[in-house]
Amino acid sequence: MKNKLKLLRAERNWTQEELGQALGVSRQAVNALETEKHDPSLDLAYRIAALFERPVEDIFENPHG
Amino acid sequence: MTTLSKQHTPAGRRYVMRTFGFMAAYVAICVAMMTTGLFDSVIGQPVGWVLAAAVAAPVVGQIWATLALMRESDEFVRMVTAKQFIIASGLAMAAATFWGFGESFAGAPHLPAWLIYPLFWAAFGLAAPFIRSSN
Repeated sequence: MKNKLKLLRAERNWTQEELGQALGVSRQAVNALETEKHDPSLDLAYRIAALFERPVEDIFENPHG
Repeated sequence: MTTLSKQHTPAGRRYVMRTFGFMAAYVAICVAMMTTGLFDSVIGQPVGWVLAAAVAAPVVGQIWATLALMRESDEFVRMVTAKQFIIASGLAMAAATFWGFGESFAGAPHLPAWLIYPLFWAAFGLAAPFIRSSN
């Protein structure tokens, strides 16, 4: 799923490890999200949205929209 | 086992340690069986089933270790681990089925069924590096 995660992370100068710690997931999971090798669960998508204080659809492109 | 760098998380490190522990137990019994006469006295005896259970126990332990890794990991690691385990199990079952029918109908030499465990790990080693997506 296309997303702006890498961009948002770069804006804050966070490493994948730091973002993973903030979200409670591994660095591998952050990397997989950024490279579109993992579609997040609804729970994780909302955690990411809450962390960046943006709506989910601002971060993740709706593949059906 | 090593793909996805499982050793980089505490859950991954526990998994690697548990896996090597169970693998060592399995290998120790198999090597003792193949290279010594340690178990010759139990051949054909009811106690032979105890030996069979002892060598099967690490395989059950491996399933527990894998489920524990999935329980203690995030959703990405959980999904990739499940995919790796399913594909490796499927490949091992397909190879065992192929060889079993080869024995029955094509004159293939007999191989003992306990080789399924190393066969699983061979399949895992071949397949896991290519499974890096949860999709």
